Amino acid sequence: MSDMFTDFTQAIGKQREENMGLMEKLLVAAQPGAVYSEPVSSGNYMIITASEVSAGGGFGGGLGFGTPSTDDEVSGAEGARPQRAKSRGEGGGGSGGGGGSAGRPVAVIIIGPDGVDVKPVIDATKIALAALTTLGAIVMMLKSMRKLSRG
Amino acid sequence: MLRLQRLIQSHIVSGTPLIAGEATLTPQSHALIVRWPSGGFIWNRPVAILVERGAQTQRIPIRDLTRIVQLGLLCLSVVCIIVSWPHTRRKEK
Repeated sequence: MSDMFTDFTQAIGKQREENMGLMEKLLVAAQPGAVYSEPVSSGNYMIITASEVSAGGGFGGGLGFGTPSTDDEVSGAEGARPQRAKSRGEGGGGSGGGGGSAGRPVAVIIIGPDGVDVKPVIDATKIALAALTTLGAIVMMLKSMRKLSRG
Repeated sequence: MLRLQRLIQSHIVSGTPLIAGEATLTPQSHALIVRWPSGGFIWNRPVAILVERGAQTQRIPIRDLTRIVQLGLLCLSVVCIIVSWPHTRRKEK
């Protein structure tokens, strides 16, 4: 029982260390190198892409043990029927984690003979979805106002 | 307060300067790091690019137009809901 507990705690500790290592790797996303691409040259022009990067993750673990594996009867209160303890000397443990990352281009930096120019990158799908939501809110507002004016 | 600072970190980071002709470009990004004992989250976005020409330094901001438009539309939606709310309440009464 004690050995099993030690094994479990060691395994979970090791897993936790590995997860912390993964977390440190995730911190690479906080460096500017993750946001700005390598420059691409074409003639007199040099282009760099600037992107928004987000990453996240989490992990956890746990362990549990069954009741002792003896078949001893557990006596209740005096006169009460004695109860038999469930004979399950098993235990278990586990750990897991998950994470994800996302990136979206924000702007393109063009370096040319005329100077530096920053061109924004527009995500039409995201704007369209937001516009639809706003349209829904406007329709809802107009409907409620019209109903009120009619009495 | 210190514990909160350890949990949430926000700072502007400068990248490796890049030489393009006579100009030196330094990209800057804003990193938001939220860490908790069993995980964390990082949000990193470009903020500006510094252009140094001789003694002159020019800061060119990088604006996220998609985010600006999204937030504008969200604000408009919230305003619409706030405007229509008293009307709905009055009707219920």
